[in-house]
Amino acid sequence: MNTSMIRLILGHVIRLEGFFLLLPCVIALIYKEDQLSTYLIIAGVCLIIGSLLSHKKAKDNVFYLKEGCIATVLSWMVLSFFGALPFMMTGEIPSFTDAIFETVSGFTTTGASILTDVEALCHTSLFWRSFTHWIGGMGVLVFLLAVVPMSGASHFNLMRAESPGPSVGKLVPKLRYTARILYIIYFALTIAELVALLIAKMPWFDALCISIGTAGTGGFGILNSSVGGYSTTVQWIVTIFMILFGINFNAYYLILFGEAKKAFQIEEVRAFLLIVLAAIIFITNDIRGLYDTLFEALTDASFQVASLISSTGFATTDFDMWPGFSKTILVLLMFIGACAGSTGGGIKVSRFVIVGKAIKKELHSYIHPRSVKQITMDEKEVDPSVIRSVNTYMITFFTIFVLSILIIALEEKDLVTNFTSVIATMNNIGPGLSMVGPTQNFAHFTDLSKWVFIFNMLAGRLELFPMLIMFHPAIWHELIVKGVRKKRILKNKL
Amino acid sequence: MFGIDKTIKHGLNIIIIGCGKVGRTLVDQLCQEGHDITVIDKVSKKVQDVANLYDVMGVCGNGASFSTQIEAGIKDADLVIAVTGSDELNLLCCTIAKQASDCSVIARVRTPDYNEDIPYLREKLGLARIINPELEAAKEVARILYMPAALEVSSFAHDQAEIVKIKLPEDTILHELKIMDMGKRINHNILICAVERDGEVYIPSGNFELRGGDIMSFVGTRKNCARFMKEIGFDTHRVHDTLIVGGGKAAFYLADQLLRAGIAVKIIENDVKRCEELSTLLPEAIIINGDGTDEALLQEEGLATAESFVPLTGIDEENIMLTLHAKQVSNAKAITKINRISFKTVLSTLDLGSVIYPKYITSEKIIAYVRAKLASKDSNIETLYHMFDSRVEAIEFLVKEDSEVTSKTLLELQLKKNLLVCFISRKGRIFIPTGQDTIQVGDEVMVVTTHSGFNDVTDILA
Repeated sequence: MNTSMIRLILGHVIRLEGFFLLLPCVIALIYKEDQLSTYLIIAGVCLIIGSLLSHKKAKDNVFYLKEGCIATVLSWMVLSFFGALPFMMTGEIPSFTDAIFETVSGFTTTGASILTDVEALCHTSLFWRSFTHWIGGMGVLVFLLAVVPMSGASHFNLMRAESPGPSVGKLVPKLRYTARILYIIYFALTIAELVALLIAKMPWFDALCISIGTAGTGGFGILNSSVGGYSTTVQWIVTIFMILFGINFNAYYLILFGEAKKAFQIEEVRAFLLIVLAAIIFITNDIRGLYDTLFEALTDASFQVASLISSTGFATTDFDMWPGFSKTILVLLMFIGACAGSTGGGIKVSRFVIVGKAIKKELHSYIHPRSVKQITMDEKEVDPSVIRSVNTYMITFFTIFVLSILIIALEEKDLVTNFTSVIATMNNIGPGLSMVGPTQNFAHFTDLSKWVFIFNMLAGRLELFPMLIMFHPAIWHELIVKGVRKKRILKNKL
Repeated sequence: MFGIDKTIKHGLNIIIIGCGKVGRTLVDQLCQEGHDITVIDKVSKKVQDVANLYDVMGVCGNGASFSTQIEAGIKDADLVIAVTGSDELNLLCCTIAKQASDCSVIARVRTPDYNEDIPYLREKLGLARIINPELEAAKEVARILYMPAALEVSSFAHDQAEIVKIKLPEDTILHELKIMDMGKRINHNILICAVERDGEVYIPSGNFELRGGDIMSFVGTRKNCARFMKEIGFDTHRVHDTLIVGGGKAAFYLADQLLRAGIAVKIIENDVKRCEELSTLLPEAIIINGDGTDEALLQEEGLATAESFVPLTGIDEENIMLTLHAKQVSNAKAITKINRISFKTVLSTLDLGSVIYPKYITSEKIIAYVRAKLASKDSNIETLYHMFDSRVEAIEFLVKEDSEVTSKTLLELQLKKNLLVCFISRKGRIFIPTGQDTIQVGDEVMVVTTHSGFNDVTDILA
């Protein structure tokens, strides 16, 4: 186990967070808020700790998938820890569990909150809360790869551990440039939304926070009514961008290089858009009676569909009051989630496409038992190991899902609450139904449940296995036992 | 940290077709040089293995198909290198790549059938280079056999100058002698350019003190090298006969060269058919049909009295065993060819003597070409060798235009540390430069350095 490399990566991540924490300081300066000093101090601490850790170069810069996974998970943990400090130190979220919950919810782009009154927060904290979405959306390690010169192919293992989707590819030969291209697209889309919102006459601070919140498909609002309080134009802009951020970024890369036709031929993108369209049509039809005009129904339906399938979690209306059919569709959308290679969460459309094809193949083999049929996607053969890993992913997902529900159920809340609260956190959505509905929050859960949710959010964001590998005894054995043995050998030598 | 970093230079877009051992060596070395590499192979497992190990993009498919090449980004490629197992496929890949974009192409062609067509193929198909690792390996073996006391012999300046690597015996007359005092003791006209001692490599200055047991490389013309070795007590006679085990392509190329130089050749080959072929191709050679790994047969064929022994079977382990065996039973100069295995540290403890790696020879040729392509117009890399496990590079530049290095004496130039200008070849005459000499346009300049990544002759300046 290459522990010095893990240390180095953690150091870089903490230092990076130090830089990120300087951004809320700018907001604090603009609004002349007292929280400036708190944020500055924490940023300074991060910069110092990070620099100390990353100062010494690693002896051996080769590492493998397991180290990549461990480094990723640990990075997200320290990121959340330092990200939670401002909330605690400003006294806005005094409880440790609550502060961690809020930050993890931010970084994992969940958007579930334990705050009963969001508007009570200062601008600085509001911005930081939303900004965690932006960092977490594309991934902090991908950002690290883009900005910190690290040579060697081993770093692909970091990207593999952090990027959503069943298989990770590169856009260009060098990982570094792939990471840069991803962030350039990400940044450009965010700016596009910001400009669109400003044109729609939204106040600049709101526009900024909503833009970065949409970009990461996060969902922290800055008003208690989420996005419900803004004009219809704003709502439509946000709807469109939520869908855009739920699309595989490979598509944008292709469009960028003038191959728009190819971009729309990506099967996953087609499936995603089809699901969105179908859901909007069904729900609009179902809720038409509740609204005066068809357009109002359409606006609300589209917004909610886009928000939930992209795993953003903004709300313009309390969809908990909608009829059962619509609510069921929304819950199903939560499971599906966005495209692989986007900033969204959920199980991912591509996995469902692959599973769908596997089912079709299985049925086919009942009719023609000796038939040979390869599963293909985008006219490329899907490797059996990918299919296997998708199957295992599904099973693992539901196992964790069921176990989490069991623990949450200890609180004796109603079934819908238990069920949807786990869905909403594991798929990084935010709001669920009933007691965790769009107008509610997660404050009423016990600390135990909150820690379960924290685990679910991280596991969901990091695609389960990197998180689970941390609990594998072999890893601990290697980290602790071998470390001790090494020290003993060194001692004997002396 | 957010600024532009200088560690990664912008490299060329290179497509490598074929992920065999040469392909992988190329990926490894070109990656280190910072190029953007895409690999193509038919077998997805191989592509994945390479993509997992190196920072490259992999495309699975037939490298000769136009659509696969398009997918791999042929339109923006600067260079395509075809190193699949088949010569014909390599040529086809290059032909198609050449039509698809205006990139340079390099193909590996190793069958002796095409040997005479090489200049024709190069010209008609517009290939930048055609590489033949077997032929290059054979040439290197032959060079060592001409000077069997050396561990390695590499040639420069169109075979006029050579770098010779030798191991000094413990009781050498050079023991504890400073390089600048060497002239007092012996008459020589060579330059010691690198010394390896206890695993460290030094580019020696005048104050450097040699010791017995050092492995050192020196540069000079062929004649001067031989004279110097004679002075310090090495036997410089070339071998008179050689025993080759295995009758592959490399064996054929080697035998062909040696026979022309008047060295008797005996080849042991297991396959009767191949033996018949060889005897037609090489009428002067003695072809023995039998198992080259059979101890009795080797004895019968006079391994004990042979002057040199070159195992060239396709299996590295066999070659190593044969060499070790030969070292025990005879005084023959043994040269081991290693194709595949990479346990270089293990091999270095085995005392095999001369070892050649065809895959490195290939990649050196290609890297020399790539570096030359990257360089600005005023100079060009003619030859490049990696020495001492790639820790030292010997590079020969052709100076085409005036630049900072020309028209100043070497003493006035601010050269990098750990760098030595070994010789200058001017109008066919080779001389070892002193501080008063200048580099002029049209010169070929050879430098030895522990730095890497030189593209241009001006890179020698600090």
